Amino acid sequence: MEDIANLRPADALAVSPEVFQQLGTITRLLHDTMQQLGVMPKLQTATEGLPDARSRLSYIATKTADAANKVLNTVDAAKAEHHQISDATRAMAQQIVADPVKAVASGAVMNFVHEVEASTKRIDDHLTDIMMAQDFHDLTGQVVAKVVTLANDLEDSLVKLLIQVVPEGVRGQVDPNVLNGPVVNAEGRTDVVTDQGEVDDLLASLGF
Amino acid sequence: MSTPTDLKFLVVDDFSTMRRIVRGLLKEMGCNNCEEAEDGQVALNMLKAAKFDFVVSDINMPNMNGFDLLKAIKADDSIKHLPVLMVTAEARKEDIVLAAQSGAAGYIVKPFTKATLEEKVQKIMQKLAATA
Repeated sequence: MEDIANLRPADALAVSPEVFQQLGTITRLLHDTMQQLGVMPKLQTATEGLPDARSRLSYIATKTADAANKVLNTVDAAKAEHHQISDATRAMAQQIVADPVKAVASGAVMNFVHEVEASTKRIDDHLTDIMMAQDFHDLTGQVVAKVVTLANDLEDSLVKLLIQVVPEGVRGQVDPNVLNGPVVNAEGRTDVVTDQGEVDDLLASLGF
Repeated sequence: MSTPTDLKFLVVDDFSTMRRIVRGLLKEMGCNNCEEAEDGQVALNMLKAAKFDFVVSDINMPNMNGFDLLKAIKADDSIKHLPVLMVTAEARKEDIVLAAQSGAAGYIVKPFTKATLEEKVQKIMQKLAATA
């Protein structure tokens, strides 16, 4: 696009009066359309909500990252406890096989029982922590709903506006690749795969 | 034939959570020798500086994306032999075709299971052994 700063007054003077006439008509059409459709107040509300939407999305990112880290850390701790029980069980079994009377008399069996009891209590605590870490879903779900409502309002306003002002010839020329990324809804689309099986089929058809 | 447990993996993803998940799954498969990179550029520097055997890479990343990393690996004689498994949320067929044509050894779409990752890694290892 040409930089406005580079335009010289002579360029502006060279423009025919019809262009100004057309610009005026489009501006009037735009203004009237927005008033008639009631777009302006809605659009204003939506754009005022955008900074808030950014902070809400940041909140979601933070909450989900915290939850993911908490779960992964807790799973690591629970797995370590689980390995400890497995090792202690194997050692106890060897002692019982070797000398059952000594294993009981020495208190090794009771120590093992207490060890398992304490360990399972800690694992249960870890599982509770994992369960509690999922609270982000409830919190972020509410925030997502608000952001989606805001996005819908903005989209609705812009689409109405676009339909009114876009020239006939360029309607339907919207770039379909604008929303590349994870496919939220693949229904009716032939340009995306829906599962790993389709990926494998496609790669197989290419000789991989 | 090398088994996955003998290999040194490089996991490339801009999300630390996903790097941690992939690394955790590889660990459960017995692959303890694993390093991480947060984008393609960091990964490329690491691949040139030290010996790796296997790359697992995301596609959408800042600085250098997964496709550019893949092309850079395949253009470098010293590392072009490395298998690159793409693990990504990109489900468009043209991305899968581009990855295959650019020399990717496999393609996994997120979300994925441990079984899928294990199967793909094993399959790639078998192919490498067959062509060696």
